[in-house]
Amino acid sequence: MTTADRQASRDVVKHSARHEGPQKHIIVFIFSIILTAIAFAAVAAGGVNPAFTVILLLAMAVLQVFVQMGYWMHLKDRGHMMPILFMVGGFFIAGTAIVMALYWVWW
Amino acid sequence: MAHAHSVKRHKGLMDWLTTVDHKKIAILYLLAGGLFFGIGGIEAILIRLQLIKPMNDFVSAQTFNELITMHGTTMIFLGVMPVIFALMNAVIPLQIGARDVAFPFLNSLGFWTFLFGGLLLNLSWIMGGAPDAGWTAYTPLSTHTYSTTHGVDFYTVGLQIAGLGTLIGGINFLATIITMRAPGMSFMRMPMFTWTSFITSAMILFAFPAVTVGLVLLSFDRILGANFFEVANGGNPVLWQHIFWIFGHPEVYILILPAFGVISEVIPTFSRKRLFGYSSMVFATILIAFLGFMVWAHHMFTTGLGPVANALFSIATMLIAVPTGIKIFNWLFTMWGGQIRFTSPNLFAIGFIPTFVMGGVTGVMLASAPADYQFHDTYFVVAHFHYVIVGALVSGILAGLHYWWPKMFGRMLNETLGKLSFWFFIIGFHLTFFVQHFLGLMGMQRRVFTYLPNQNFDTLNLISTIGAITMGIGVIFFLINAIVTATKPKGVANDPWEDGRTLEWAIPSPPPEYNFKQIPLVRGIDAYWKEKMAGNKEMTPAEPIGPIHMPSPTILPFVMSVGIFIAGLGFMFSKESFSNSFMSLIFNNWIVVIIGLVITFGSMLLRSLYDDHGWHIEVEELEEEGVKA
Repeated sequence: MTTADRQASRDVVKHSARHEGPQKHIIVFIFSIILTAIAFAAVAAGGVNPAFTVILLLAMAVLQVFVQMGYWMHLKDRGHMMPILFMVGGFFIAGTAIVMALYWVWW
Repeated sequence: MAHAHSVKRHKGLMDWLTTVDHKKIAILYLLAGGLFFGIGGIEAILIRLQLIKPMNDFVSAQTFNELITMHGTTMIFLGVMPVIFALMNAVIPLQIGARDVAFPFLNSLGFWTFLFGGLLLNLSWIMGGAPDAGWTAYTPLSTHTYSTTHGVDFYTVGLQIAGLGTLIGGINFLATIITMRAPGMSFMRMPMFTWTSFITSAMILFAFPAVTVGLVLLSFDRILGANFFEVANGGNPVLWQHIFWIFGHPEVYILILPAFGVISEVIPTFSRKRLFGYSSMVFATILIAFLGFMVWAHHMFTTGLGPVANALFSIATMLIAVPTGIKIFNWLFTMWGGQIRFTSPNLFAIGFIPTFVMGGVTGVMLASAPADYQFHDTYFVVAHFHYVIVGALVSGILAGLHYWWPKMFGRMLNETLGKLSFWFFIIGFHLTFFVQHFLGLMGMQRRVFTYLPNQNFDTLNLISTIGAITMGIGVIFFLINAIVTATKPKGVANDPWEDGRTLEWAIPSPPPEYNFKQIPLVRGIDAYWKEKMAGNKEMTPAEPIGPIHMPSPTILPFVMSVGIFIAGLGFMFSKESFSNSFMSLIFNNWIVVIIGLVITFGSMLLRSLYDDHGWHIEVEELEEEGVKA
């Protein structure tokens, strides 16, 4: 098998991975909406302990980020190492910079 | 497949304004970068002439502040960056065996936004005074309270526009290198220059947003009355220093890494040996980039971060010496036992090494926080960063230009003139900046427009100025060389240095607009050298000859950039009180801003709605030209 062939077969794999049918996407879409609904409900209910609400909101947000990135931005699919690498790198660098700079400036 | 439709081919000036060909954009970057480099160089000479003797009155204090600010800003953002982009554009697609960059339209957009940003910044000289708060534009000096002219507005708006172009260029190269490598060219077979440019582009991606945010905040403070940096209203000037250096420190590695790449190409070629320790070079490059983001506060030791922070940043900074040392030793080991040829590119490359080591050593000295309290804001710092940015980086760029000139223009630069420019440049350089270490240690502060006599500064400053002029002569020799060479007929061989190792030397000089008639198959590191050693005259193709798809030329990037330029100018003068009622009507009511934005967004709309599928070069045309890929 030549390199070009291997490249071609890899492309086929990638191609099929991208078309896994609508069923999974509908499930994920409903899941996303449920996450959002929980967050809204926690605030709307009013009676919940505020500290608990904040933690719940953050947890829902983190889950939502993973769902969005994994499914809608295809990061769970094959051949997405580069986007993952750059996103994680970006988060790390931006996180360090923001946390440290704000820490020194205001605390 | 071959649904050829005619494409409008432009001639003359229109060809250059509309081109999306990476090789032509490289030449545009080189011309524009060269222009700004010239302006920055003249500013440098004027600075040195002012400092030639104590109590000199060659320029006023205000003009001197403007000169140092514009010298730094111009050289870094508008001189060196574009010339690096010129080399990257000219070489990377060829080195990875691609026909163009991933987004040719964006490539052109990046160039034009950079150019118009740079022009806006330099318009300040004739529109009421240049920025005068230093290239770092530290607040509160750069806020409206202390800087009442439009100088710093030109800085914030001009750099935002130019920075946009740089960011676009960086993203484009990332996409190009990730997606467009020829079959067989894995990451660990990429030439070093491509590797360092790749890492540099990633750093641009992460660093430039920081400065963009900072410049937006500062321009909001100055023009719209925000209070991000105004202490009286709860702002914090140190925040600016953080934002600036979170960008600014990676920026200096953004500049130097491509130069490392050039040296890693030139030295193996002229030593007739493969690069020593290729994988450690890659590793060192990534490590330098990573550490480069973690050390910004070493510019701020004296702001009072506290002993823990200062110690941590001292150590992180000193750590960078390790990967950099790996690189230095790898270059030395590459030369060791090689058949070294002292051509002009190799002279610049060899001159690079000791100069860079000297700059690096003073860097480690500055990294020590207690010592930095003494060095801070003295000429010692000036000497340090000029050793790395001029002595090393500009040497690296000149090495790259001499090396790839035949590939870019199809003509060899004159060797005698090249050697003359090397000797004048390197001797002039060390004469200028070596003595500045001692000026700094004796207590001469940077950014002062004059000094008193009899403090032992007089002789050393005179020597420094003589050195600056010598260095200027070296650059003039290079210019003469370029002009003389341009008058000679084209027609150098594919591989004019005869020991070319990478893919760009397998195709004609200058390459046809589609670069490779057939995309080559890469069978190892130093792909072309490998084929040569296997006794092959040319690369093994990875595809049959077929029609080649080309992007259409377009004027839209130019128009978009003009729009941003107009909007930027309008934004800057939106709060100005004009004596002319028409001017105050169009500026104070944001009409100029709106016109500029309409032009830009209109062009974007046009680009989105009008599908341009490009055009094809047919097989018959390829064969008629008889060009070997």
